[in-house]
Amino acid sequence: MPIPYMQRTRDYYLALGFPAYRWAHFADVPFAPLGKPLAEARLALITTAAPYQPGLGDQGPGAKYNAAAKFYKVYSEPSDTIPDLRISHVGYDRKHTHAKDPNTWLPLAQLHAAVKRGRVAGLTPRFHGAPTNRSIRITVETDAPELLRRCREDGADAVLLVPT
Amino acid sequence: MCHQTVSLVARHLEANGLPTVIMGCAKDIVEHAGVPRFLFSDFPLGNSAGPPFDTEAQALTLELALRVLETAPAARTTVQSPLRWSEDPAWKLDFDNPATLTPEQIAERRKEFDAVKSIIKDKQKS
Repeated sequence: MPIPYMQRTRDYYLALGFPAYRWAHFADVPFAPLGKPLAEARLALITTAAPYQPGLGDQGPGAKYNAAAKFYKVYSEPSDTIPDLRISHVGYDRKHTHAKDPNTWLPLAQLHAAVKRGRVAGLTPRFHGAPTNRSIRITVETDAPELLRRCREDGADAVLLVPT
Repeated sequence: MCHQTVSLVARHLEANGLPTVIMGCAKDIVEHAGVPRFLFSDFPLGNSAGPPFDTEAQALTLELALRVLETAPAARTTVQSPLRWSEDPAWKLDFDNPATLTPEQIAERRKEFDAVKSIIKDKQKS
């Protein structure tokens, strides 16, 4: 059975003395059909990983949770090279994984391979970083519209989203 | 939070006509929010794109996500990857589980949590 993260987090917060977090929930789910075959489609990538920021403490594999390395605005970087991204700013499973291989949270190398063999027509020129925010309102009202704007600007036909 | 964030973003993109697929490891959070297409890998958080140093498994993980993108018949389509993290599922007991922590460890975590909150507050102000 998968880990019940919502219940786990609720119990964890309560044990630490915090009120329970209210997770986002919607009854209706939008659905946009893929308008063309993937071999003719341009794919955008959205990640929650953060660009490495020198001087802001340990952000390397296995680093403790590093809140200073968090980012609060959508960022974009070229998708044709492999960037130096880190995940010390989020709560990944530090006991059972080590974050030494960026390909576990950023499938950019695999996407390049998929383009090379014609599985996907191409990637948009940029990939985008989504700030991980406890505020549902900020994500919905500020970050999501900005990500939509950038994906459209880049001519994306579909979007792959990869949380950490 | 990462899984909730991308779920909210995916919903916004889809509502505006852009098809999406999420690849992730927190099934309940993504499904609770409600997203169109989701490839679920039952791995520790941090491995949404596949297990470390296993190119073949990472390629399969992406391929499955692409197939979900292509073939999902309707919203709330979740496909679970057939890959397993380990034969022993004991790893699932550890993540942020108060039942496995001593009162001293809980007090320590609370202290760390408060420190983190204050860093975030300062950063958001600047």
